[in-house]
Amino acid sequence: MNTEQLIETLSRDVPRVSRYAVLQRVATGIVAGGLAAMLLVTATLGVRPDLQVAMHGFSFWMKWTYTISLGIGAIYAITRLARPAPGSLRGLWLLAVPVLILTGIGVGELARTPSSEWLAMWLGRSWTSCPWLVLTLSAPIFAGLLWSFRKLAPTRLHAAGAVAGLGAGAWAATIYCLHCPEVSAIFVLTWYSLGILLAAGIGALLGPRLLRW
Amino acid sequence: MATSEADLKALMIESLTGDAAAHGLLLRALVPLLRSFYRRRLALNEDVEDFVQDTLIIVHTRRQTYDQDRPFTAWLYAIARYRVIDHYRRRRQTVAIEDVESILIVEGFEDAANAHFDVDSLLTTLPPKQARAIRHPHVEGKSVAEAAAAAGIGESDVKVSVHRGLRALGARIRGSSQ
Repeated sequence: MNTEQLIETLSRDVPRVSRYAVLQRVATGIVAGGLAAMLLVTATLGVRPDLQVAMHGFSFWMKWTYTISLGIGAIYAITRLARPAPGSLRGLWLLAVPVLILTGIGVGELARTPSSEWLAMWLGRSWTSCPWLVLTLSAPIFAGLLWSFRKLAPTRLHAAGAVAGLGAGAWAATIYCLHCPEVSAIFVLTWYSLGILLAAGIGALLGPRLLRW
Repeated sequence: MATSEADLKALMIESLTGDAAAHGLLLRALVPLLRSFYRRRLALNEDVEDFVQDTLIIVHTRRQTYDQDRPFTAWLYAIARYRVIDHYRRRRQTVAIEDVESILIVEGFEDAANAHFDVDSLLTTLPPKQARAIRHPHVEGKSVAEAAAAAGIGESDVKVSVHRGLRALGARIRGSSQ
Protein backbone atom coordinates (compact mmCIF):
# COMPACT_ATOMS: atom_id res chain seq x y z
CA MET A 1 0.00 0.00 0.00
CA ASN A 2 1.44 3.39 -0.80
CA THR A 3 1.49 6.16 1.76
CA GLU A 4 -1.28 8.18 0.13
CA GLN A 5 -3.66 5.19 0.16
CA LEU A 6 -2.76 4.56 3.77
CA ILE A 7 -3.63 8.13 4.73
CA GLU A 8 -6.93 7.83 2.82
CA THR A 9 -7.79 4.69 4.76
CA LEU A 10 -6.79 6.12 8.11
CA SER A 11 -8.74 9.34 7.55
CA ARG A 12 -11.94 7.42 7.05
CA ASP A 13 -12.14 6.47 10.71
CA VAL A 14 -11.46 9.44 13.00
CA PRO A 15 -13.35 9.10 16.27
CA ARG A 16 -13.44 11.95 18.78
CA VAL A 17 -10.92 11.52 21.57
CA SER A 18 -11.54 12.84 25.08
CA ARG A 19 -8.85 14.88 26.81
CA TYR A 20 -8.99 12.34 29.59
CA ALA A 21 -8.76 9.27 27.37
CA VAL A 22 -5.45 8.10 28.87
CA LEU A 23 -6.72 8.51 32.42
CA GLN A 24 -9.93 6.63 31.55
CA ARG A 25 -7.96 3.82 29.94
CA VAL A 26 -5.63 3.50 32.96
CA ALA A 27 -8.52 3.68 35.44
CA THR A 28 -10.44 0.98 33.54
CA GLY A 29 -7.47 -1.38 33.71
CA ILE A 30 -6.99 -0.78 37.43
CA VAL A 31 -10.69 -1.17 38.25
CA ALA A 32 -10.94 -4.42 36.26
CA GLY A 33 -7.82 -5.82 37.91
CA GLY A 34 -8.97 -4.53 41.30
CA LEU A 35 -12.29 -6.39 40.98
CA ALA A 36 -10.38 -9.59 40.27
CA ALA A 37 -8.15 -8.96 43.30
CA MET A 38 -11.22 -8.31 45.45
CA LEU A 39 -12.74 -11.61 44.32
CA LEU A 40 -9.49 -13.32 45.29
CA VAL A 41 -9.60 -11.75 48.76
CA THR A 42 -13.23 -12.68 49.45
CA ALA A 43 -12.86 -16.18 48.00
CA THR A 44 -9.56 -17.23 49.58
CA LEU A 45 -8.50 -14.92 52.45
CA GLY A 46 -11.90 -13.76 53.61
CA VAL A 47 -12.89 -10.23 54.57
CA ARG A 48 -12.09 -9.48 58.21
CA PRO A 49 -15.23 -10.20 60.25
CA ASP A 50 -15.02 -6.92 62.19
CA LEU A 51 -14.79 -4.72 59.08
CA GLN A 52 -17.93 -2.75 60.04
CA VAL A 53 -16.44 -1.90 63.42
CA ALA A 54 -12.95 -1.29 62.06
CA MET A 55 -14.30 1.22 59.57
CA HIS A 56 -15.15 3.48 62.50
CA GLY A 57 -11.61 3.30 63.86
CA PHE A 58 -8.47 5.33 63.19
CA SER A 59 -6.08 2.60 62.05
CA PHE A 60 -8.28 1.37 59.19
CA TRP A 61 -8.49 4.85 57.71
CA MET A 62 -4.80 5.48 58.35
CA LYS A 63 -4.01 2.40 56.25
CA TRP A 64 -6.45 3.35 53.52
CA THR A 65 -5.27 6.94 53.37
CA TYR A 66 -1.71 5.69 52.99
CA THR A 67 -2.35 3.12 50.29
CA ILE A 68 -4.94 5.17 48.38
CA SER A 69 -2.75 8.27 48.26
CA LEU A 70 0.13 6.15 46.93
CA GLY A 71 -2.30 4.65 44.40
CA ILE A 72 -3.46 8.07 43.22
CA GLY A 73 0.13 9.31 42.93
CA ALA A 74 0.99 6.21 40.91
CA ILE A 75 -1.96 6.79 38.56
CA TYR A 76 -0.69 10.32 37.92
CA ALA A 77 2.78 8.95 37.15
CA ILE A 78 1.36 6.23 34.89
CA THR A 79 -0.65 8.73 32.84
CA ARG A 80 2.56 10.73 32.32
CA LEU A 81 4.85 7.81 31.50
CA ALA A 82 2.27 6.21 29.21
CA ARG A 83 2.93 9.00 26.71
CA PRO A 84 5.88 9.65 24.44
CA ALA A 85 7.95 12.59 25.73
CA PRO A 86 6.52 12.46 29.27
CA GLY A 87 8.33 15.63 30.30
CA SER A 88 9.44 16.38 33.84
CA LEU A 89 8.51 13.93 36.58
CA ARG A 90 9.38 16.25 39.43
CA GLY A 91 5.84 15.89 40.83
CA LEU A 92 6.72 12.32 41.81
CA TRP A 93 8.39 13.64 44.97
CA LEU A 94 4.86 14.11 46.29
CA LEU A 95 4.75 10.32 46.74
CA ALA A 96 7.10 10.82 49.68
CA VAL A 97 4.43 12.82 51.55
CA PRO A 98 2.22 9.86 52.62
CA VAL A 99 5.36 7.91 53.59
CA LEU A 100 6.60 10.77 55.76
CA ILE A 101 3.20 11.28 57.40
CA LEU A 102 2.92 7.58 58.21
CA THR A 103 6.46 7.66 59.61
CA GLY A 104 5.41 10.53 61.86
CA ILE A 105 2.40 8.57 63.11
CA GLY A 106 4.64 5.54 63.65
CA VAL A 107 7.13 7.54 65.74
CA GLY A 108 4.25 8.87 67.84
CA GLU A 109 3.02 5.30 68.39
CA LEU A 110 6.44 4.12 69.48
CA ALA A 111 6.74 7.02 71.93
CA ARG A 112 3.44 6.05 73.56
CA THR A 113 4.30 2.33 73.78
CA PRO A 114 6.76 0.71 76.22
CA SER A 115 9.82 -0.43 74.31
CA SER A 116 9.30 -4.06 75.37
CA GLU A 117 6.26 -4.18 73.05
CA TRP A 118 7.93 -2.55 70.07
CA LEU A 119 8.96 -5.76 68.37
CA ALA A 120 5.49 -7.32 68.69
CA MET A 121 3.96 -4.12 67.31
CA TRP A 122 6.35 -4.01 64.36
CA LEU A 123 5.95 -7.67 63.37
CA GLY A 124 2.25 -7.95 64.21
CA ARG A 125 0.81 -11.39 63.57
CA SER A 126 1.21 -11.50 59.82
CA TRP A 127 4.53 -9.91 58.83
CA THR A 128 5.66 -13.09 57.10
CA SER A 129 2.66 -13.21 54.78
CA CYS A 130 1.63 -9.56 54.36
CA PRO A 131 4.19 -8.45 51.71
CA TRP A 132 3.66 -11.62 49.69
CA LEU A 133 -0.12 -11.31 49.76
CA VAL A 134 0.10 -7.67 48.63
CA LEU A 135 2.44 -8.77 45.84
CA THR A 136 0.13 -11.60 44.79
CA LEU A 137 -2.95 -9.36 44.75
CA SER A 138 -1.06 -6.83 42.64
CA ALA A 139 -0.72 -9.38 39.80
CA PRO A 140 -4.30 -9.07 38.46
CA ILE A 141 -4.11 -5.26 38.72
CA PHE A 142 -0.80 -5.26 36.88
CA ALA A 143 -2.42 -7.42 34.22
CA GLY A 144 -5.23 -4.87 33.94
CA LEU A 145 -2.64 -2.14 33.47
CA LEU A 146 -0.91 -4.16 30.76
CA TRP A 147 -4.24 -4.14 28.94
CA SER A 148 -4.40 -0.33 29.41
CA PHE A 149 -0.92 0.08 27.97
CA ARG A 150 -1.82 -1.75 24.77
CA LYS A 151 -3.36 1.46 23.42
CA LEU A 152 -0.79 3.77 25.04
CA ALA A 153 2.73 4.66 24.02
CA PRO A 154 5.38 4.63 26.76
CA THR A 155 8.92 5.39 25.61
CA ARG A 156 10.70 4.96 28.96
CA LEU A 157 9.86 1.34 29.54
CA HIS A 158 11.71 0.69 32.81
CA ALA A 159 10.13 3.74 34.43
CA ALA A 160 6.68 2.99 33.01
CA GLY A 161 6.91 -0.60 34.28
CA ALA A 162 8.00 0.64 37.72
CA VAL A 163 5.08 3.05 38.15
CA ALA A 164 2.65 0.44 36.80
CA GLY A 165 3.98 -1.97 39.44
CA LEU A 166 3.74 0.76 42.07
CA GLY A 167 0.11 1.47 41.16
CA ALA A 168 -0.75 -2.23 41.09
CA GLY A 169 0.93 -2.70 44.49
CA ALA A 170 -0.72 0.32 46.10
CA TRP A 171 -4.21 -0.65 44.94
CA ALA A 172 -3.58 -4.29 45.88
CA ALA A 173 -2.63 -3.11 49.39
CA THR A 174 -5.83 -1.03 49.49
CA ILE A 175 -7.86 -4.17 48.79
CA TYR A 176 -5.76 -6.24 51.18
CA CYS A 177 -6.85 -3.82 53.96
CA LEU A 178 -10.28 -5.46 53.74
CA HIS A 179 -8.69 -8.63 55.10
CA CYS A 180 -5.74 -7.50 57.18
CA PRO A 181 -6.47 -6.86 60.90
CA GLU A 182 -3.11 -5.23 61.73
CA VAL A 183 -3.35 -1.83 63.39
CA SER A 184 0.10 -0.32 63.91
CA ALA A 185 1.58 2.36 61.67
CA ILE A 186 5.09 0.88 61.67
CA PHE A 187 3.66 -2.46 60.56
CA VAL A 188 2.00 -0.82 57.57
CA LEU A 189 5.01 1.36 56.87
CA THR A 190 7.29 -1.68 56.72
CA TRP A 191 5.36 -4.66 55.40
CA TYR A 192 2.77 -3.00 53.18
CA SER A 193 5.44 -0.77 51.68
CA LEU A 194 7.68 -3.79 51.14
CA GLY A 195 4.95 -5.56 49.15
CA ILE A 196 4.29 -2.41 47.11
CA LEU A 197 8.00 -1.89 46.43
CA LEU A 198 8.41 -5.52 45.35
CA ALA A 199 5.60 -5.00 42.85
CA ALA A 200 7.25 -1.80 41.59
CA GLY A 201 10.63 -3.51 41.26
CA ILE A 202 9.22 -6.45 39.33
CA GLY A 203 7.32 -3.98 37.13
CA ALA A 204 10.55 -2.11 36.39
CA LEU A 205 12.29 -5.36 35.41
CA LEU A 206 9.43 -6.54 33.20
CA GLY A 207 8.68 -3.12 31.66
CA PRO A 208 10.93 -3.33 28.59
CA ARG A 209 9.66 -6.83 27.79
CA LEU A 210 5.94 -6.32 28.38
CA LEU A 211 5.34 -2.68 27.47
CA ARG A 212 7.17 -2.40 24.13
CA TRP A 213 5.09 -1.53 21.11
CA MET B 1 1.41 22.84 3.68
CA ALA B 2 1.43 23.13 7.46
CA THR B 3 4.87 22.52 8.94
CA SER B 4 5.19 24.81 11.93
CA GLU B 5 4.58 23.57 15.47
CA ALA B 6 1.56 25.87 15.81
CA ASP B 7 -0.07 24.67 12.54
CA LEU B 8 0.52 20.99 13.27
CA LYS B 9 -0.73 21.33 16.83
CA ALA B 10 -3.89 23.09 15.64
CA LEU B 11 -4.54 20.29 13.12
CA MET B 12 -3.95 17.64 15.78
CA ILE B 13 -6.38 19.28 18.19
CA GLU B 14 -9.03 19.48 15.46
CA SER B 15 -8.36 15.86 14.58
CA LEU B 16 -8.92 14.89 18.22
CA THR B 17 -12.38 16.44 18.07
CA GLY B 18 -13.20 13.93 15.32
CA ASP B 19 -12.48 16.17 12.30
CA ALA B 20 -11.51 13.71 9.55
CA ALA B 21 -10.42 16.44 7.11
CA ALA B 22 -7.98 17.91 9.63
CA HIS B 23 -6.73 14.41 10.38
CA GLY B 24 -5.96 13.79 6.69
CA LEU B 25 -4.21 17.16 6.39
CA LEU B 26 -2.17 16.42 9.48
CA LEU B 27 -1.03 12.98 8.29
CA ARG B 28 -0.10 14.40 4.87
CA ALA B 29 1.87 17.22 6.49
CA LEU B 30 3.79 14.71 8.61
CA VAL B 31 5.00 12.62 5.66
CA PRO B 32 7.88 14.91 4.55
CA LEU B 33 8.92 15.56 8.16
CA LEU B 34 9.07 11.85 8.94
CA ARG B 35 10.83 11.01 5.68
CA SER B 36 13.64 13.42 6.42
CA PHE B 37 13.79 12.27 10.04
CA TYR B 38 14.16 8.59 9.14
CA ARG B 39 16.38 9.17 6.13
CA ARG B 40 18.98 10.75 8.40
CA ARG B 41 18.80 8.12 11.09
CA LEU B 42 18.47 4.81 9.32
CA ALA B 43 21.09 2.81 7.45
CA LEU B 44 20.91 3.06 3.65
CA ASN B 45 19.48 -0.43 3.24
CA GLU B 46 16.44 0.32 5.43
CA ASP B 47 13.10 1.14 3.86
CA VAL B 48 12.33 4.68 5.02
CA GLU B 49 8.77 4.48 3.68
CA ASP B 50 8.00 1.49 5.95
CA PHE B 51 8.96 3.57 8.96
CA VAL B 52 6.94 6.55 7.74
CA GLN B 53 3.82 4.42 7.28
CA ASP B 54 4.33 2.66 10.59
CA THR B 55 4.59 6.03 12.35
CA LEU B 56 1.47 7.37 10.61
CA ILE B 57 -0.45 4.34 11.86
CA ILE B 58 0.83 4.95 15.39
CA VAL B 59 -0.07 8.66 15.21
CA HIS B 60 -3.54 7.48 14.18
CA THR B 61 -4.10 4.63 16.64
CA ARG B 62 -2.35 6.11 19.67
CA ARG B 63 -3.33 9.74 19.26
CA GLN B 64 -5.04 9.66 22.67
CA THR B 65 -1.55 9.76 24.21
CA TYR B 66 -1.01 13.29 22.90
CA ASP B 67 -1.33 15.80 25.75
CA GLN B 68 -2.85 19.00 24.34
CA ASP B 69 -0.93 21.14 26.82
CA ARG B 70 2.40 20.04 25.39
CA PRO B 71 4.16 20.62 22.05
CA PHE B 72 2.99 18.40 19.20
CA THR B 73 6.37 17.99 17.50
CA ALA B 74 7.96 16.80 20.75
CA TRP B 75 5.31 14.06 20.87
CA LEU B 76 5.77 13.14 17.21
CA TYR B 77 9.56 12.94 17.30
CA ALA B 78 9.50 11.04 20.60
CA ILE B 79 7.46 8.38 18.78
CA ALA B 80 9.77 8.42 15.76
CA ARG B 81 12.89 8.16 17.95
CA TYR B 82 11.36 5.31 19.90
CA ARG B 83 10.63 3.43 16.65
CA VAL B 84 14.26 3.74 15.54
CA ILE B 85 15.62 2.62 18.91
CA ASP B 86 13.12 -0.23 19.15
CA HIS B 87 13.93 -1.33 15.62
CA TYR B 88 17.63 -1.73 16.36
CA ARG B 89 16.91 -3.27 19.75
CA ARG B 90 14.57 -5.83 18.21
CA ARG B 91 17.21 -6.93 15.77
CA ARG B 92 19.82 -6.86 18.53
CA GLN B 93 21.89 -4.64 16.36
CA THR B 94 24.18 -2.17 18.02
CA VAL B 95 24.19 1.47 17.05
CA ALA B 96 27.56 3.20 16.80
CA ILE B 97 27.88 5.58 19.72
CA GLU B 98 28.33 8.56 17.40
CA ASP B 99 24.89 7.88 15.90
CA VAL B 100 23.06 7.74 19.20
CA GLU B 101 23.15 11.47 19.53
CA SER B 102 21.54 12.00 16.16
CA ILE B 103 18.76 9.61 17.19
CA LEU B 104 18.23 11.43 20.44
CA ILE B 105 18.31 15.05 19.34
CA VAL B 106 14.89 16.44 18.59
CA GLU B 107 14.74 17.58 14.99
CA GLY B 108 16.16 21.10 14.75
CA PHE B 109 14.35 22.20 17.88
CA GLU B 110 17.37 22.27 20.10
CA ASP B 111 19.46 24.22 17.58
CA ALA B 112 16.71 26.75 17.04
CA ALA B 113 16.17 27.25 20.76
CA ASN B 114 19.90 27.58 21.44
CA ALA B 115 20.33 30.06 18.60
CA HIS B 116 17.52 32.14 20.06
CA PHE B 117 19.16 32.19 23.48
CA ASP B 118 22.54 33.07 21.96
CA VAL B 119 21.10 35.95 19.96
CA ASP B 120 19.22 37.22 23.00
CA SER B 121 22.27 37.20 25.21
CA LEU B 122 24.42 38.86 22.53
CA LEU B 123 21.87 41.60 21.97
CA THR B 124 21.90 42.53 25.64
CA THR B 125 25.57 43.51 25.24
CA LEU B 126 24.65 46.22 22.71
CA PRO B 127 23.29 49.70 23.39
CA PRO B 128 19.47 49.41 23.64
CA LYS B 129 18.84 51.44 20.49
CA GLN B 130 20.98 49.15 18.33
CA ALA B 131 19.61 46.01 19.99
CA ARG B 132 16.04 47.13 19.28
CA ALA B 133 16.88 48.02 15.71
CA ILE B 134 18.27 44.52 15.13
CA ARG B 135 15.60 42.69 17.06
CA HIS B 136 12.60 44.20 15.32
CA PRO B 137 13.39 43.51 11.65
CA HIS B 138 15.82 40.58 11.97
CA VAL B 139 14.48 38.49 14.84
CA GLU B 140 10.79 39.35 14.95
CA GLY B 141 10.35 39.92 11.23
CA LYS B 142 8.96 43.46 11.24
CA SER B 143 9.62 45.84 8.33
CA VAL B 144 12.14 48.67 8.71
CA ALA B 145 9.25 51.17 8.57
CA GLU B 146 7.44 49.38 11.43
CA ALA B 147 10.62 49.20 13.46
CA ALA B 148 11.23 52.93 12.91
CA ALA B 149 7.66 53.79 13.94
CA ALA B 150 7.89 51.57 17.04
CA ALA B 151 11.14 53.17 18.17
CA GLY B 152 10.01 56.70 17.20
CA ILE B 153 13.06 57.32 15.00
CA GLY B 154 13.69 57.69 11.27
CA GLU B 155 14.10 54.73 8.90
CA SER B 156 17.66 55.69 7.99
CA ASP B 157 18.43 55.87 11.71
CA VAL B 158 17.19 52.27 12.07
CA LYS B 159 19.36 51.13 9.17
CA VAL B 160 22.43 52.83 10.61
CA SER B 161 21.75 51.30 14.04
CA VAL B 162 21.39 47.83 12.50
CA HIS B 163 24.62 48.26 10.60
CA ARG B 164 26.59 49.48 13.63
CA GLY B 165 25.03 46.89 15.90
CA LEU B 166 25.82 43.97 13.59
CA ARG B 167 29.40 45.21 13.14
CA ALA B 168 29.80 45.41 16.93
CA LEU B 169 28.38 41.90 17.35
CA GLY B 170 30.66 40.56 14.63
CA ALA B 171 33.69 42.05 16.38
CA ARG B 172 32.54 40.58 19.69
CA ILE B 173 32.00 37.06 18.33
CA ARG B 174 35.37 37.09 16.55
CA GLY B 175 36.93 38.31 19.78
CA SER B 176 35.34 35.63 21.93
CA SER B 177 36.18 32.76 19.57
CA GLN B 178 39.88 33.53 19.50
